[in-house]
Amino acid sequence: MATTASFIIVSRNDIPIYEAEVGSATKREDAAQLHQFVLHAALDIVQDLAWTTSAMFLKNIDRFNDLVVSVYVTAGHTRLMLLHDSRNDDGIKSFFQEVHELYIKVLLNPLYLPGARIASSHFDTKVRALARKYL
Amino acid sequence: MANYLAQFQTIKNSCDHIVIAVEDVSNLWPTVKDRFDERLPFRRASLNNKTRNPVFVENLNAEFILTTDSRLRSRFPQEQSLFWFREPYATVVLVTCEDLDEFKTILKPRLKLIVQNDEREWFIVFVSRAHPSNDNAIKSAKKVYDRVQVEFSTKKRERCCKFDIHGPEALFWEDLESKIMDCVRNTLDRRVQFYEDEIRKLSEQRFMPIWNFCNFFILKESLAFMFEMAHLYEDALREYDELELCYLETVNMIGKHRDFGGVEHGDDHAALLNPGNKPLSQIVQDDSFREFEFRQYLFAYQSKLLFKLNRPFEVASRGYSFVISFSKSLTSHEHKLPFCMREVWVITACWDLITASSSQYKAGLVAPDIEKEFYRLQGDLFSLGRVKFMRLAYLVGYGNDIERSPVNSASLSMLPWPRPSVWPSVPSEASSEVLEKEKLILQTTSKTKHFGIQRKELPLEPTVLLREANRRRASLSAGNAFEIFDGHPSMTDGSGPDGSSKSPNSQKKAGVSMSRTFSSPGNFEGSPDRPMRIAEIHVAAQHALQETISDEDLWKSLSSVEEFEKKYLELTKGAADNYHRSWWKRHGVVLDGEIAAVCFRHGNFDQAAKSYEKVCALYAGEGWQELLADVLPNLTECQKMLNDQAGYLSSCIRLLSLDKSLFLNKEREAFQAELVRLAHSELKDPVPLDVSSLITFSGIPGPPLELCDGDPGNLSVTVWSGFPDDMTLDSVSLTLMATFNADVGAKAVRSSTAMLKPGRNTITLSLLPPKPGSYVLGVLTGQIGQLRFRSHSFSKGGPADSDDFMSYEKPARPILKVFKPRALVDLAAAISSPLLINEIQWAGIVVRPIDYSLKGAILHIDTGPGLSIEKSFVIEMESCANLSQTEPDTPNSFDSQNGSPTANKQLEQLTLEDGKINFPDWASDMDSVIWVPIWAKSDSLPRGSSSVAPPRPNMVDGMRTIALNLEFGASHNQTFERHCSLHFSDPFHVSSRVIDKCNEGTLLLQVILQSQVKATLTVYDAWLELQDGFVHAGQGDGRPTLGSFPLAVSPTSKGGIIFNICLGKTIDENGAEKSESIVNIRYGISGDRTSGAHPPVAMEYSGSDASRKDLTFRSVLVLQRPVLDPCMAVGFLPLPSVDLRVGQLVPMKWRVEMLKDLEDKEISKHNGEVLYEVNANPENWMIAGRKRGYIPLSKKQGSRIVISVLCVPLVAGYVRPPQLGLPNVDESDISCNPPGPHLVCIMPPALSSSFCVPV
Repeated sequence: MATTASFIIVSRNDIPIYEAEVGSATKREDAAQLHQFVLHAALDIVQDLAWTTSAMFLKNIDRFNDLVVSVYVTAGHTRLMLLHDSRNDDGIKSFFQEVHELYIKVLLNPLYLPGARIASSHFDTKVRALARKYL
Repeated sequence: MANYLAQFQTIKNSCDHIVIAVEDVSNLWPTVKDRFDERLPFRRASLNNKTRNPVFVENLNAEFILTTDSRLRSRFPQEQSLFWFREPYATVVLVTCEDLDEFKTILKPRLKLIVQNDEREWFIVFVSRAHPSNDNAIKSAKKVYDRVQVEFSTKKRERCCKFDIHGPEALFWEDLESKIMDCVRNTLDRRVQFYEDEIRKLSEQRFMPIWNFCNFFILKESLAFMFEMAHLYEDALREYDELELCYLETVNMIGKHRDFGGVEHGDDHAALLNPGNKPLSQIVQDDSFREFEFRQYLFAYQSKLLFKLNRPFEVASRGYSFVISFSKSLTSHEHKLPFCMREVWVITACWDLITASSSQYKAGLVAPDIEKEFYRLQGDLFSLGRVKFMRLAYLVGYGNDIERSPVNSASLSMLPWPRPSVWPSVPSEASSEVLEKEKLILQTTSKTKHFGIQRKELPLEPTVLLREANRRRASLSAGNAFEIFDGHPSMTDGSGPDGSSKSPNSQKKAGVSMSRTFSSPGNFEGSPDRPMRIAEIHVAAQHALQETISDEDLWKSLSSVEEFEKKYLELTKGAADNYHRSWWKRHGVVLDGEIAAVCFRHGNFDQAAKSYEKVCALYAGEGWQELLADVLPNLTECQKMLNDQAGYLSSCIRLLSLDKSLFLNKEREAFQAELVRLAHSELKDPVPLDVSSLITFSGIPGPPLELCDGDPGNLSVTVWSGFPDDMTLDSVSLTLMATFNADVGAKAVRSSTAMLKPGRNTITLSLLPPKPGSYVLGVLTGQIGQLRFRSHSFSKGGPADSDDFMSYEKPARPILKVFKPRALVDLAAAISSPLLINEIQWAGIVVRPIDYSLKGAILHIDTGPGLSIEKSFVIEMESCANLSQTEPDTPNSFDSQNGSPTANKQLEQLTLEDGKINFPDWASDMDSVIWVPIWAKSDSLPRGSSSVAPPRPNMVDGMRTIALNLEFGASHNQTFERHCSLHFSDPFHVSSRVIDKCNEGTLLLQVILQSQVKATLTVYDAWLELQDGFVHAGQGDGRPTLGSFPLAVSPTSKGGIIFNICLGKTIDENGAEKSESIVNIRYGISGDRTSGAHPPVAMEYSGSDASRKDLTFRSVLVLQRPVLDPCMAVGFLPLPSVDLRVGQLVPMKWRVEMLKDLEDKEISKHNGEVLYEVNANPENWMIAGRKRGYIPLSKKQGSRIVISVLCVPLVAGYVRPPQLGLPNVDESDISCNPPGPHLVCIMPPALSSSFCVPV
């Protein structure tokens, strides 16, 4: 499992709708904000790259010293962004695909308004389990 | 071969163009040199590139050099092959000859000798010096030239051209250029081939021990250089790329330990764009080159070629990756390099790249996406340089002047410290500097944020510098360093002597606070084993950097805080601008925030506020609240300083509306307190403020409030307050938007003071009467002191997720429905059958609310003429069950609970005040009947009818109207007017007839009573008052003959009474003559008011039968005496027997005969003359005689006279003949024959020619 990994789902309006620190490393107190900052800045790159490829998985689009940003862009332009230090591309890809599936399930919930914050604890548990499995 | 490196470099520097040799056979060159040189450089040339594809090059530079020139002569053959690229590419043989013999004998052998060398590409230029006027000379020159052509040109290749010095030149120069180009191309091809062969040979030996990279390099670069000379830059670039690849392959080969380089003075300044930085011979090492210099050298050449190809974008892009990868190499060799060499190199490399590429870059020449990318790269370079620059600045102690923002923190805290083999130590003479530094550190106070926000400061260092630096000192073990920190717990918690560290959890500031504790004066002098203090570390770093940095500009920027800030600002601005140009708004805006921080520190609040606003707008727009929470307090502070009240307030609101977890509750309360303080005290003018993010509102769940047109109402809305504390609003109003039309229908509803608790509140607003339609919530506005706030947002659930919903369009749910004007109530008369006239009767008025409450309604009753309300009696109101049963499920019927409506039938007595009735509450939702005691007066006695004159029904007599006006609605705003007609009638209609004439002159008079009301009438008694000329037969009390009373008459049925009367005279005591008989009937009535006529109101209350009051009904009867003695007779004499025809004159005759003496009659007045008159229908008859006149008639009995009048019938058929009338004589005195109307037959006119009108 990766020592540092920060996972964020960004809605099509660039609003973060889900955040999770999924790394195994003991979290630095200020890390969350820095990770947020790095991921937010990476949106600039995603916005350029997303339209140049038909692939959903954009791996290693941004590098921040030891940390790397990988992004998975869904068809609805929701972006699953992962800031990580592991190099396990296959694992990250599988992680993204499974989280995408979970996200679709959330979307299918009639009570969930697309673009709203995902508050489901079930979703959170599942994402963390996936992170343990793949990252 | 490596020995040739120096020579190679010299050659390269001296020769940057191709050389064309000139073999001056006939000593012509001085004459033509200038004209040849004028043609240079060649404007256009077609050459072959490495793949033998033609490429057009422009402005190909070249030089004509005589073969006798020293530059071409003194070369060794080996040199020639090695540096073949500098050898002439073409040989021009200049000859002239005017004599054929001379040519054959002298010139030809000489030329043959020159051209026998196949290596060279040559051609002959025959110069003709013949003057155009000299024909002989021209001819001979031509002859010689022809000969030259025969000798030297072949079919394959034309090798000769002729140059007339005095003739036209244009053709010659074209010819010359094409020939030169042929030669150059051929030479180039051959040499490329040669170099390629050589390079291939060398490449094959690459993995052999004898492999020498320098040889390979010389060959490869020669080829590249040759391409460059020929302006084939693409090919040259490719050679350099291949060279770099090859070098990187060999340099990393295992087992060969090589010197990296970079330790010389000046190496810290990147030379990646300066190819001539160091001579190659200096960097050669064994059989290869030092990596540090050589990679920069290669990149410098690549970039030079790219600039020549006009591709500055690629320079930037390759440069950026080069800097990154080279920086990695530097990292791996960092222990051998000077302190912070890597950082310095990266900074200078970035700056050089930025300067070079941006100066070469011309905007608008490339595709937009390339341009975007270029600016992005510039931004990246700027920000890379910026980060390294900040790192250096931190090391020398400017850390306090670097804003601890997320961007700086993210860049710096994840960037490891430099790793020198030994951390520099303080030079012995620098103790004064250390003291100064310590003083400086003591002076700096930690910045506190506005509102007393306590935030952990973000780190700028990956690990604590103090620990890192001491750990890297050779003399100190890591264990010692830990002891330092752990041994003084009291010093790390901020309770040091300076006490400036306010935050209890300032673990991150440990470096700073420790530095202070360690820097107490007195223990300064120490052994080298003693751990360094932070000030010492800074000073040591400063000195070490001074050693490292050769770039004056960079050193100057680090020399003082002011200079640092200047450079820092320049870099930040550069990065921000370029990111903005590349549309990387997030990167750009974030850096704008850094500029703002500097502006803020210097008190330039205006600029700072502008930039901070951009940052806040970005984070707020994208909902990244944690980042927003970091920067928003700064903006707020700026706005406060600028006295921008509106902005300041709105920032307070934004701070409050951020996620609750981002600020402590205490801080949030401080925001609110600030807001309230401003609103109530400081603001002079009202300030508008949008609080949509903080105060949200929604309608009460459930169906919308429904109102009828014109009704006011109260609307309840749920308001979510995001304030951490109670908030008193001076006023609140809400606009409603009509869904049917956006332009119309913003209705304000108001409420006075309201107190908002944190969280959910319900506010009730009174509603002005709106127009019909459905409304959704619009804008909530209100006032807090001088603050006018407005909120646009609706919340759906709670405040927890309201922020996320804000940016979404929600389907607007109607909150209020106002119905179109419709009937809300109906008033009608309860019964349609007649009531008794002249009696007090209950008139029922049915009040039927139509889905609308009549609570508090007032009914005005106004009676029409002939009708009055008996005020002495109460008005009754009762519920009307049977009517509401038709609509049992009306929405408003839930008020009348407890089973069926009949079960709780209501009855209430009301009083009429000023013609008004107030409705009781129970009647508000259900149908009811109001019973009003009224009295319809009629003065005239009803007239009976006889069998002769049948009764003519006259409804109008009994009609009365009653005007009703109902005021209802919540504020009596609704009115309903209705005129009800009530029908009154007498109980009976009386008719009479004489049924028999008895012997003694007695008449049996039958009086028929027909009931006119819907009630059972009982006749108890009847008597007749007779008119003059009639007397009662028998005892004569006027009672009927047969006492069959009481006589019950059911509704609409008849009853009869027979009276016995006879003709006769009565002597009236009063002498008054009665012309009419009157029948009196004493009767009782039993009926229900709900169906029609009923006993009068007064009687109902009297109760029992004993005190029953009978009613009396009087009706006039007209009795006529029978006709007995006519005094005149008028007879219509028979018409002539002939047929009456149309248009034929007919004499009509009547005979008038006096039957009696007429002494006292009217005729006497006219002296025995009787007035007659012939009446005829003028359509049927034309009367030819006098229609009217007097006839003499004696008053004696038996006198007679015949009146004859000529008449002409006008129409055929049965028509009524003219009639004779005697107007002055009473009809009863005339006996007519025939007595009634009769008809005569008129024939159509006989056919006669006289009627024919000739055509």
